[in-house]
Amino acid sequence: MSNFSVPRRSLMLGGAALALAPAAAFATTSPDVGKPAPLFTAVDSNGKSWSLADLKGKVVVLETTNHDCPYVRKHYNSKNMQDQQREAAAKGVVWLTTASNAAGEQGAVTPAQANELTRSRDAAPAAVLIDPQSKIARAYGATVTPHMYIIDAKGVLVYKGGIDSIPSSSVADVPKAKQYVRLALDEVLAGKPVTVASTQAYGCTMKYPRTST
Amino acid sequence: MLRFLALLLALLVAGPAFAQSVVQTDNVRAELLSDVATVKPGEPFWVGLRQTIRPKWHTYWKNPGESGLPTEIAWTLPAGATAGPIVWPAPSLFDIGGVTNYGFKDEAMLLVRITPPADLAGPLKLAAEANWLVCEDVCIPEEGKFELTLPSGAAATPAPPALRALFETARRSVPTESPWPARYGVSKSGDPTLIVEARGLKPDTIRDVYFFPAEWGPVATMAKQTASVTAEGIRIPLRKGDAKAAMPAVLAGTLVLTEKTADGTVKQAFDVSAKLDPAFVPAPASLAGAAGAEQLSLVQALLFALLGGLILNLMPCVFPVLAMKAAAFARLAGHAQAEMRRDGLTYTAGVLVSFAAMAAIVVAIRASVGDVAWGFQFQSPVFSLLIAYLFFTVGLNLSGVFEFGGRLAGVGQGLVARGGTTGAFFTGVLAVIVATPCTAPFMAAALGFALSQPAPATVAVLLAMGLGLALPYLALTMIPALQRMLPRPGPWMDRLRQFLAFPMYASAVWMIWVLTQQTGSNGVLYALGGMILIAFAIWLLRLGGGTSSGNWTRRGVAAAAVLLAFAATLKLEDGPATAASASGERTSGVNFEGWERFSRARMAEAVAAGKPVFVDFTAAWCITCLVNERVALETPATKKAFEQAGVVKLKGDWTNRDDEITGVLKEVGRAGVPLYLFWAPGAAAPKILPQVLTEAMILSELSSIQQAKR
Repeated sequence: MSNFSVPRRSLMLGGAALALAPAAAFATTSPDVGKPAPLFTAVDSNGKSWSLADLKGKVVVLETTNHDCPYVRKHYNSKNMQDQQREAAAKGVVWLTTASNAAGEQGAVTPAQANELTRSRDAAPAAVLIDPQSKIARAYGATVTPHMYIIDAKGVLVYKGGIDSIPSSSVADVPKAKQYVRLALDEVLAGKPVTVASTQAYGCTMKYPRTST
Repeated sequence: MLRFLALLLALLVAGPAFAQSVVQTDNVRAELLSDVATVKPGEPFWVGLRQTIRPKWHTYWKNPGESGLPTEIAWTLPAGATAGPIVWPAPSLFDIGGVTNYGFKDEAMLLVRITPPADLAGPLKLAAEANWLVCEDVCIPEEGKFELTLPSGAAATPAPPALRALFETARRSVPTESPWPARYGVSKSGDPTLIVEARGLKPDTIRDVYFFPAEWGPVATMAKQTASVTAEGIRIPLRKGDAKAAMPAVLAGTLVLTEKTADGTVKQAFDVSAKLDPAFVPAPASLAGAAGAEQLSLVQALLFALLGGLILNLMPCVFPVLAMKAAAFARLAGHAQAEMRRDGLTYTAGVLVSFAAMAAIVVAIRASVGDVAWGFQFQSPVFSLLIAYLFFTVGLNLSGVFEFGGRLAGVGQGLVARGGTTGAFFTGVLAVIVATPCTAPFMAAALGFALSQPAPATVAVLLAMGLGLALPYLALTMIPALQRMLPRPGPWMDRLRQFLAFPMYASAVWMIWVLTQQTGSNGVLYALGGMILIAFAIWLLRLGGGTSSGNWTRRGVAAAAVLLAFAATLKLEDGPATAASASGERTSGVNFEGWERFSRARMAEAVAAGKPVFVDFTAAWCITCLVNERVALETPATKKAFEQAGVVKLKGDWTNRDDEITGVLKEVGRAGVPLYLFWAPGAAAPKILPQVLTEAMILSELSSIQQAKR
């Protein structure tokens, strides 16, 4: 017992946990791929109500958007987004574009603006969901526009991340990039597991409601 | 701001003197700069893409976080020339409406090492295309083309001082290689926990610990990390990232922490490469943030504590108490089962209440002081002395010198001696009081855990230990089958009791030894003297009989004797042995290689001899000191320059209290380390160098004395 003074030295464990970082409005936690996708209900630009629960049996793509974001523009100007929307529709996939930037922020649209954008960009989503309170984006932990998600017919999230592999705002990069969403969709429709199921999304920061702090 | 203006002015004045290429976009002014004015063929040099960013906007680090993109530079270089990767400054964390970004605000200099071809003839033409994303709420991708033409010559010549200062600042903001090894483990849920083995840090001087993962994937971008800083190092529970791949063999990233030195705060950044440690499986996230070095889970800790409590029953300190209990028990034998049970339960209650009280004290002290080490009570010599007295007195009682009871209501034994419930309760209390000295060495892990836990866990662990202590007796009273196994009461009980006095005396001797460790040899005098006084008081009280006035006199004298014994405690504070044992560890952590140990005399001598003297006041727990040593004081160039200038290098280690160094710090108006003093030869007073050193700073100090010599 002669080492009596030892423990008091070796056990200088204080209440030393240090927290830091500015208070975050919320923690962006996104659902894991392979887990049931978060359910949501939203109204589209034509006043129609959509519920993910009702879409069971169909493959669903979610695309967060902000028409003023250079990265969104990259994929619309290059027609990449519209092409993929049409391909998906032809295969019976429900493509939902969600305008989830908070009301008053860049990228927030009225239903009329959304329809005008669809017309002028010659886009072909099944619907444009109007999500001024960012509810869908929050449920999926979206951090950028475009942030892409694929939900299989059983309602399981099978892909999340970027639309393709080259994070740039340059249209010239589109043909060179690996189109992750297209590749994943093909696998899902073929009943195969998705090879690349989670990638780093790139784009403009999602604009969540400021009052959420 | 002032510095910025000065810089701007310097740039304006020096403008035409050096080649540069500026691109002004809406949100960023970007320029390509070089730290040399003339290039030597084949000799690498640095260029920097300097971004001056619109207020409130930011550009991105190599891992941009939850959104954003890093700046990219594509080089077009003459044949044979090469450009290295971007060397990034340490990032900051931005919260953009709930989305976490890693990047830079106001200003960032992205360094790139250029190696010109060895056969370069004529000027070197550098062309770069850079693109970056700059965001406030909205994000704008921007780009610029840069050209820089540098003349070449037989020797490289440095850029103008203003420009070199920019590079110096830029280098300083690049993370240094971590001086500590790091490892990480993955919990069953897949969440990694990073351990940076920075031992001996002072938790109360470290703020804002954040680990920036070098890449997207293995680790989630977290708005908040709850790092804990213990003497064992820095522990950061992380969340697994979105990559669907196995965890990498090495987890790379940048650790940024702010150290509070006595004279301000310094931000430090380290590049960390943590090896995957398969043996380290962190406990689930709820506990991971606070568990101690031995990585016990709460359940394990509770089990250990229970077991430890059981073992306590075999300790010499508790054994005698149990003997008292056994005697009481034997007396109870034959009583109603219900009464026995009540006795066992109240004893248990006594033990648990005492442990709860101890837990409450621990929690309260921690709340107010913030740092408790187990055995903290034994750091107090007063406590040691009182326990020694208690052992001695109980020993005397066991020897039969006196019986508890009557009017000898002293330290609580009076209550113990009372029969029935109260007696049982206070036997429990007594058992705990005498048991604590035994707990420290044997319960280190569980107690360490308890002390580092949130209050509920601390209380739970201590209560588990109490339950363990009480368990054997509780079981005995509850289970009649066990009672039948006990020997019958008889005269052997008295003999046993008297025998048990000896372990009690031994315990008292041990406590006195502990006391001498704390106070030095004088402690023996006070303790043994106090014991004589106590024995004297007991003898006086036992005389009994006589007149009532005689009784009162005796009691008065006895009380005075006891008071005198207790007064000895007042003489015990802050003995010399404590300081001696502290200084025994003085070399830990501080490297003296190439340095002489600081003393005022040595400094005065060297200064008087007209030698240049550099004094480094440092401490093992001072991160800024460590970084300064690595980036400025122990670099090959500095070492060489020190040697050439014949500098006497002195190092003062302030890891432990050192009055001489404290005195020097006070004289120059500093409250702590780091402190750097430089005496030019023949100078009347030393120059105080900044807290954050750079190699260039030291070299310029040294070259100024070289020039003065000529």
